[in-house]
Amino acid sequence: MSTATESVDLVGHESTRNLARAALFAALVGAFAYVSFPVPLSPAPVTLQVLGVFLAGVLLGPVWGPAALGIYLAAGALGAPVFSGGAGGLGHLVGATAGYLWSYPVAAGVVGLAVHRGPALRDLDGVGVPTLVGGLIAGTVVIYAVGVTGLALVLGLAPVEAVVQGALVFLPAEAAKIAAAVGIVRSDALAAT
Amino acid sequence: MTVAYVPDDSRFHRLDPRSKLFLQVAFAAAAYAYTTPRGLAVLSVLAVSCVWAAGGTVREAAWGYRWSAPFLLAAPVVAGVTVGPPWIRAADALTTGLASYRVWIVLLVAASFVRSTPVRESRAALQWLVPGRPGRALGIGVALVFRFLPLLRHDLASTRAAIHARCGAERSVHHRMRIVAVAGIARAIGRADRLATALTARCFAWNPTLPPLRFSRTDVPAVLLATGLTVAAIIAVA
Repeated sequence: MSTATESVDLVGHESTRNLARAALFAALVGAFAYVSFPVPLSPAPVTLQVLGVFLAGVLLGPVWGPAALGIYLAAGALGAPVFSGGAGGLGHLVGATAGYLWSYPVAAGVVGLAVHRGPALRDLDGVGVPTLVGGLIAGTVVIYAVGVTGLALVLGLAPVEAVVQGALVFLPAEAAKIAAAVGIVRSDALAAT
Repeated sequence: MTVAYVPDDSRFHRLDPRSKLFLQVAFAAAAYAYTTPRGLAVLSVLAVSCVWAAGGTVREAAWGYRWSAPFLLAAPVVAGVTVGPPWIRAADALTTGLASYRVWIVLLVAASFVRSTPVRESRAALQWLVPGRPGRALGIGVALVFRFLPLLRHDLASTRAAIHARCGAERSVHHRMRIVAVAGIARAIGRADRLATALTARCFAWNPTLPPLRFSRTDVPAVLLATGLTVAAIIAVA
């Protein structure tokens, strides 16, 4: 039997806490893919995944928010059933909805930067509603711009066709998600976290 | 039923996870480089062979990805229909139809990887691919996602059941989204902080004990095939 000696390189408590939160947030975005709501004016039921992306940026900040979404993409690529409809596998990262998926870490970073104005986390009570809504709209724009571009490139659609199929039908639901996100950030239930 | 790891002793199960990752990437590159009826016909045979080599069936793999169907089926229709005469442009619909089909066969090959690779091996391959602490952090994160996903899904399902029990379905959509998300986040952060304390108490370290990865003779055909596909893709693009 062979033995190996190696010095133990402990992970600091702060890094452990951030890593655990990022990983659990990644799993939560995956769990949100299973929760769908029928939204008026939207032809397809809407899942909470994008809400998870917004909240990763707001609650984890512009460094650990994108890290959480990076973990989410890696886990999905390796087969965790975290993508829309409980699917997983590397194929999704080069498939029709690849643009949306790749945009998630960027969008979380944009939302985090807009809300916290730097890498350090600010107290959310000091963040005004206009700043919050502005950040969330910027995040939505990033997701749909990259998503629609990906859709057009992968499926060979013209820009207008891609916007009709990949953005117009989903936008009413995004307004509901932004309203929900503002309510969540202002919620007393999260004040202690 | 979702696409997930199934313990088995198929040809794909015996391959090194890095060979399978290489094959997937090379297959996707070839599918993008040869999106023609003849190219996709050859690649379809290969994709079906991969599914069989992993001990699965095409029906099972396709059913696992049924949620992608609306996007992929609608795209050729959206591309083909025009406002005004001639109303339908067959050439545009065919181009997008081939592109949609290409995504399907890439998903089939991805399904054979997922079916034949346990999480520990995937994590070891990921940490081989991304060296240093970023790779280790990513590996730990991925392992935690696999571990905690069922628990968080259960948390959300119990919250939704509680909402329905209290006639919450009559409330507005954004209000219901807020209740489900607040409960989900509060529980996820609570679990994360308890996990962090438990990990620190157990001397959580950057040096993990992962299964050793070793290429063997069984990997040779897969690596040769992947190399061939990569070269073919490069030739098509160049």
